[in-house]
Amino acid sequence: MKDKVFFEGLMTEATICSYCGYCRSVCPTYAGVGWESCSPRGRLNLIRMLLEGKPLTADQMKRLYQCTLCGHCTQVCSTCIDLRQFWLEARKQTVARELSPPEFATTLDNIARTGNIYNYQNDERAGWVEYMDDPPADLYQRDRAEVVYFVGCLSSFSPRTQRIAESFVHVLNAVGVDFTILGEGEVCCGYPLLAAGMHDEAQKVIEQNLERVRATGATTIVFNCPACRVMWLEQYACHLPGVRMLHSTELLADLVAAKQLPMKDVNRIVTYHDPCDLGRNGGVYDAPREVLAAIPGLQFVEVHERRERGLCCGGGGDLEMIDTALCGHVAAQTVRKLLVTGAQTIVTACPQCVRMLTRGTEQTAPDVSVKDILELVAETLDRPLKKSQDEAVQKCPDARHPKF
Amino acid sequence: MSLTKITTISADRVTEDDIERKLYSRDLAFVPSIMVKPFFQTLPDAVIRPGNAGQVADVLRQATNERIPVTPRAAASTSYYNSVPVRGGWVLDMNDLRDGIELDTTQQTVRVLPATTWFDLDDALQQKGFAVKSYPSSAVSATVGGWVSMQGQGIGSLKYGGLGEQLISLQVALPSEHGELRTITRKSDPPLDWFVATEGTLGLITRVELSIRPRPAAESHHLFAFDNLSILGQSVGLLAHADPRPFTIFFADSGYLRLLERAGFDIPLDLPQSTFPVSEKGLLLVSFQGEPFEVTQSRDSLLHTAGKEMSSDLALDEWNLRLHHLRTKRAGPSLLAAEVWLPLDKLSHYLTSVKNLAERTRLLIGTYGFVVAPDMALVMSLYPTDERRTVKYLAAIGFTKRLHDLAARYGGRPYGVGLWNTAYLPRLFSRTQLSELKRRKALLDPSGIMNPGKLYQASFPLWPITFVPGATILGAAHVALGKDRS
Repeated sequence: MKDKVFFEGLMTEATICSYCGYCRSVCPTYAGVGWESCSPRGRLNLIRMLLEGKPLTADQMKRLYQCTLCGHCTQVCSTCIDLRQFWLEARKQTVARELSPPEFATTLDNIARTGNIYNYQNDERAGWVEYMDDPPADLYQRDRAEVVYFVGCLSSFSPRTQRIAESFVHVLNAVGVDFTILGEGEVCCGYPLLAAGMHDEAQKVIEQNLERVRATGATTIVFNCPACRVMWLEQYACHLPGVRMLHSTELLADLVAAKQLPMKDVNRIVTYHDPCDLGRNGGVYDAPREVLAAIPGLQFVEVHERRERGLCCGGGGDLEMIDTALCGHVAAQTVRKLLVTGAQTIVTACPQCVRMLTRGTEQTAPDVSVKDILELVAETLDRPLKKSQDEAVQKCPDARHPKF
Repeated sequence: MSLTKITTISADRVTEDDIERKLYSRDLAFVPSIMVKPFFQTLPDAVIRPGNAGQVADVLRQATNERIPVTPRAAASTSYYNSVPVRGGWVLDMNDLRDGIELDTTQQTVRVLPATTWFDLDDALQQKGFAVKSYPSSAVSATVGGWVSMQGQGIGSLKYGGLGEQLISLQVALPSEHGELRTITRKSDPPLDWFVATEGTLGLITRVELSIRPRPAAESHHLFAFDNLSILGQSVGLLAHADPRPFTIFFADSGYLRLLERAGFDIPLDLPQSTFPVSEKGLLLVSFQGEPFEVTQSRDSLLHTAGKEMSSDLALDEWNLRLHHLRTKRAGPSLLAAEVWLPLDKLSHYLTSVKNLAERTRLLIGTYGFVVAPDMALVMSLYPTDERRTVKYLAAIGFTKRLHDLAARYGGRPYGVGLWNTAYLPRLFSRTQLSELKRRKALLDPSGIMNPGKLYQASFPLWPITFVPGATILGAAHVALGKDRS
């Protein structure tokens, strides 16, 4: 396959686009909407019209955002355009022209006022720690540590996905990693702002997080949210030379390789869903598979659409702020394909994928569970994580979940 | 318009939105509005997305009753306006008629909805132990129905024949006052071959049944570098007759490799630093698929291949890029091309003549192709340009005639007709063939609503009296304006 992609500016790439339609064949939102304007090549032409000064209606503008930034179009583009970069830059241009959808203003307000996408007080960011067994007095917030665990907004505030953060901390404790979380010192990584085209606003949160991480003296930052990791790699890494930025599955895979992660038998058939921001956009395919392969008794069945061809959960690119129904449609389509494997559990490695796929199973397969790989691993440890939160939350992911 | 009379189609499957319609008024090739607007109405009055065959038939019934032009469209991955309206009317976006794969493992056949892409069909079959026999080099987006409507020659055609030979039946919606869906076979009246390569001008394909093959148990790919285009052409011709037959043979000249290099890609062999004089170097990829013994035996046919065999890794890389030849467009940012059928025994002459033309005009021209039959290749000659510079781009469009003329000298003819290649109708069909095609059209589509303006006759300004001098002058202007400075 192709090994290079390019981005030389919006107008140049819009001219290079061959209109071949390869992108259209793999686009999860085009499959849901069906009109040419919602295909990547259609969107690209809308952007070209916009750059040429042609007026677009609000509905036409909405098409530009009916995209999860899953990166599958980049993967197949016959002229090797880095389309993910193209969409991000295009959204930046719509902000500059004051044409971005009004729904994004709420996100900007939330992050500017509270430091998180949920509009909660940011001092509640580490509230999930109190649900855990015997939390230490410092609530895992230490002045200095080798490893910073950057929890991210979803795992900090959404009840369903707080469980992922608890699981990760449980694993880190079990293997004796010297780590800290940033508590209320952590603010949104900025990815939702970047995806909305709000680069200046993103820069402000980047600086806040950088300052906080530097103070810990950490040499490694670890993320369970692939979008946070991609954001840090793309926007923060140049400011933190020598600091490793790992996804939780990469850390787990290292522990598995070093035989430091003893796990018990799990008698279950699972499949694995590649999160777009971990796989296609983040380049991590093997680590989660190495971890799953190391769990004794686990029957792991690969879905046909995997790795570079992985399916989108529907929850990326701020689409949830713009078109919730379309998110649900994409999620349901993806769950249908994942269930062809006969799996009882869909395992993934992203809190947003967990949310969206859970939503998808509600519509199509309520008996199938969705778990983050960290939850699965935490269950297999000699001293499993206490089921501290109401099990009902597992099937009700947004019980406390406000609209973005 | 009487869209509301099509009761089976819900309002959300129809659009009259200006911008949406505009997106349906182009295909792969960008054509400046000055060449289009004064002569053709490419903006459809409405776009309709039928969800099933019954709805397609219903739309055709209404269109027939009101004599509204209908242009079928799926991937729109051709470049001759085959699926772009030229007289307004309705565009039927067929993309919701996809998948519906019914596999018959005993007969080794499959039924499939027409907007399924070749990539998806093959992918689904591979999971069940089967594979398609051939596919276009645009398989990621090109649809099954679309390729039936075109010529259906591509990767795998050398071994398994053209798509027309693989077809078993079609379900077709015909333009009739009653909305008619018919199953068409080789023995039906009209027969199946009427609908092959007729570009949606007779009816709309709503289901395709075709023969398939067991998933190949083995494959091998071999890449050869050549220093001489004549020898390259001769080697292609020899390999095309090898027994067992290769699955496909791909070839490319130094101009094609230069385009890739200029686009920023690595190429598998070194070219001289300067574009001119044009290098004689070229590449040949031969791929075998089938049972292990067959593939092993096939390798014997390579023993006398004149070129220098390159590593198996490079061969595999080249094979994996077989659906990505449009990468060359990055050398543009626009690219124009002449795509032709060419007798294989004239390939050496054609490649050498293109090289000489490039040298004489100091234009960068790249040529690549696939062998699609023991005596025939599908050849694409490309040259970079920039559609943002309208005058230069118009001149560059004229230059395609020069390449078509060159191919014609060696028995070549354009691949596909659509609107733009109607200018070459005398090269495409004999008078008898064209009369027969027109008779069929009059019989099945008497009101002439199906994809009007395509295939059967040239419209102004594509009449010989205007096209020939116009394209010749523009082509000469391109030679004057487009010289490669490197």
